[in-house]
Amino acid sequence: MSSDETTSQPLRYYGQRDVWGLGQLREGWQAKELLYSFFLRDLLIRYRQVFVGVLWVLIQPLMSTLIFLALFFVLGANRTESGEVTSTWGYAPIILVGMLLWQMVNNSLRDATGSLVNYRHVVTKIYFPRMLLPLSSLLCAVFDMLVGSVLILPVCYFSGVTIHWNTALLALIAASWLVVFCFGCILWLSALNAHYRDVGYALPFVLQIGMFVSPVVYGTEKIRNLLSPWLLVVYESNPVAATISLARYGLFGSPLPSILGLATALIVTLGIVVSGLAWFQRANQWIADRI
Amino acid sequence: MKPMVPSRKTTIHVESVCKRFRLGSGSEYSRLTEVIASSAKNWIQRKLWYSTSDVIIDERRQNDERFEGNEFWALRDVSFSVAHGEVVGVVGHNGAGKSTLLKILSRIVTPTSGRVGVRGRVGSLLEVGTGFHPELTGRENIFLNGAILGLKRSEIKKRFEQIVEFAEISPFLDTPVKRYSSGMTVRLGFSVAAHLQPDVLIIDEVLSVGDQAFQRKCMGKATELGSEGRTVLVVSHNLAAISNMCSRALLIDAGKLAMDGVPSQVIEKYLHSMNSIDGLVEWGEHEAPQSTAVRLRRIAVGGTVSDTPTPQVDIDREIELMVEYDVIQADAVNCVQIQLRDETGVFVFSSANAPSMNSGNDTTFGRPLQQGRYRTICRVPANFLNDSRYVVSVFLGPEVGQPSIACDSVLTFVVHDTGAMRREYLGSWYGPVIRPRLDWSTQLVG
Repeated sequence: MSSDETTSQPLRYYGQRDVWGLGQLREGWQAKELLYSFFLRDLLIRYRQVFVGVLWVLIQPLMSTLIFLALFFVLGANRTESGEVTSTWGYAPIILVGMLLWQMVNNSLRDATGSLVNYRHVVTKIYFPRMLLPLSSLLCAVFDMLVGSVLILPVCYFSGVTIHWNTALLALIAASWLVVFCFGCILWLSALNAHYRDVGYALPFVLQIGMFVSPVVYGTEKIRNLLSPWLLVVYESNPVAATISLARYGLFGSPLPSILGLATALIVTLGIVVSGLAWFQRANQWIADRI
Repeated sequence: MKPMVPSRKTTIHVESVCKRFRLGSGSEYSRLTEVIASSAKNWIQRKLWYSTSDVIIDERRQNDERFEGNEFWALRDVSFSVAHGEVVGVVGHNGAGKSTLLKILSRIVTPTSGRVGVRGRVGSLLEVGTGFHPELTGRENIFLNGAILGLKRSEIKKRFEQIVEFAEISPFLDTPVKRYSSGMTVRLGFSVAAHLQPDVLIIDEVLSVGDQAFQRKCMGKATELGSEGRTVLVVSHNLAAISNMCSRALLIDAGKLAMDGVPSQVIEKYLHSMNSIDGLVEWGEHEAPQSTAVRLRRIAVGGTVSDTPTPQVDIDREIELMVEYDVIQADAVNCVQIQLRDETGVFVFSSANAPSMNSGNDTTFGRPLQQGRYRTICRVPANFLNDSRYVVSVFLGPEVGQPSIACDSVLTFVVHDTGAMRREYLGSWYGPVIRPRLDWSTQLVG
């Protein structure tokens, strides 16, 4: 009989604050089945009425890579400073890696920001670890990135770029780092958007700027010559810039960002994740009242 | 009753819980702070007062100690504990804080101060279709809801058949929930909440949505859960349901726990607190709801109201509903409208003293009135309403449907079955809102 089970369980209190929000991480971990359900549902809803289905995940980064490649060709970016003409195709894998990582950032931030608000009828009617909603958007974006990364091999093959397999693991580390950074960002954005809807309106604009501020469609070689060393550190302290450069270094031996730049990017990432957890925990207290 | 130290049997332990909401302040949406304030205000208006007019909000605000400047105390120092296996009913007026309490218990809303302890899993059903995603099918929603409750897929699968059978929705399992009728959504919601075996089940008002048969089924299920050692908390305006299925009841009044005890006694106190126990509501000159033209003074109900208002009316007696008001602006035009609902919120009728709705004669309608006290009486025929409790709302204004004074749920009365209509018919009358005596005849025609 269940009554014995019930009395053996502890009386759990809530209503008190857990400042650093570590409790919510544990709670989120305990609800990983629910996270899986949310993730599956997001995936289902997304691909339910789509004809080519998962192919979209491949078409999107491929098309944008081709478009920027064509743009470079038209602008003559395939000329080095000394005027030699290099193959435009050599840029393809560089842009593709940038695109895959960037679209993960873009899609996770875009979808996660609205996640709590879009499910407010659920959020205000039933309790579950709310972190799971933005987290599930992030998972979807990571899933897309992983599927999309199968493009790297054929694109490298066609453009004649060799992959540095001995340092390729760095690219994986860079991608994971970027995912952690996005996790911190979506904690901030989703709860902020529950409060101030302007966040949702401002975000596409910020993302558009972010794409050009980060080396998504260009390599960092020219940037290095343009910026003074201090400005370069500022530029590289953007975790998106740092991780994309790191991934390209790992895969193709593109120039490694400065150690100082990487260190500041790491500190920025940690700062955003820790403050994001604390903020989300606080927001959790009022979310149902104000969403 | 003071909060006690939780024992081994305590499943819910509420410790001096308070909840404060911030209200809006004039200007809308000038970023940050204003957005918070106005959304809280909207929330309060939507959740606590439904769609009452501004007049009534201001009127309540004056007499309500829960308002403190820009803040509203939805709950104040509420403490109680519930042992496992108890089925507890929560009663109170609209806006008393019942729903806020349930939201705090189900963890959706965090209390401003105090804390809540719960043993085991909490299943809550706070509104029609609670927690359902409209785009997903019934089947997917069952799994999602189960996952939200913290169950494994295998556990949900085990109970899947039972849930579908209880909810009577098997033909629509693969239809998105947005296409369900509200009855179907409630049935599924209740079924999921009840069958996924939460240790604590919290139900708000949803029982009043389904049909009679399903309501009874739900009550049976809730009682059964209680006997299985699970704890059930129900908010309902259906007092009969509360007294039938609950072993204990709480009365929430103006954000405070006003009483905790046996359902019959709590219900009695609740009905007393409906400020119309004498079948009469009266206002002094300064506190009365008023517009520029009229000031409401008295609302009364009874057999012959002019002598003795009473909230207890026999089914075979004519019922008089009386409204008394002062016309304070010369040549004002005034119309009186009355709406009647039963205790579950079913709209019984709406009528006004306009000629089209009046079988008698009211010469004041549509005419400019001289200043002074007026009394309008509406007579509801005998043997028309059923044996039940009715809630009266009164509206005054220059035209029908354009009230400048709105008094929602201002007064209640009970129609008692004296047995006059029962002599030949032995079945149950439970169900219909009206029970008119109609003109029947049978003739041998060939």
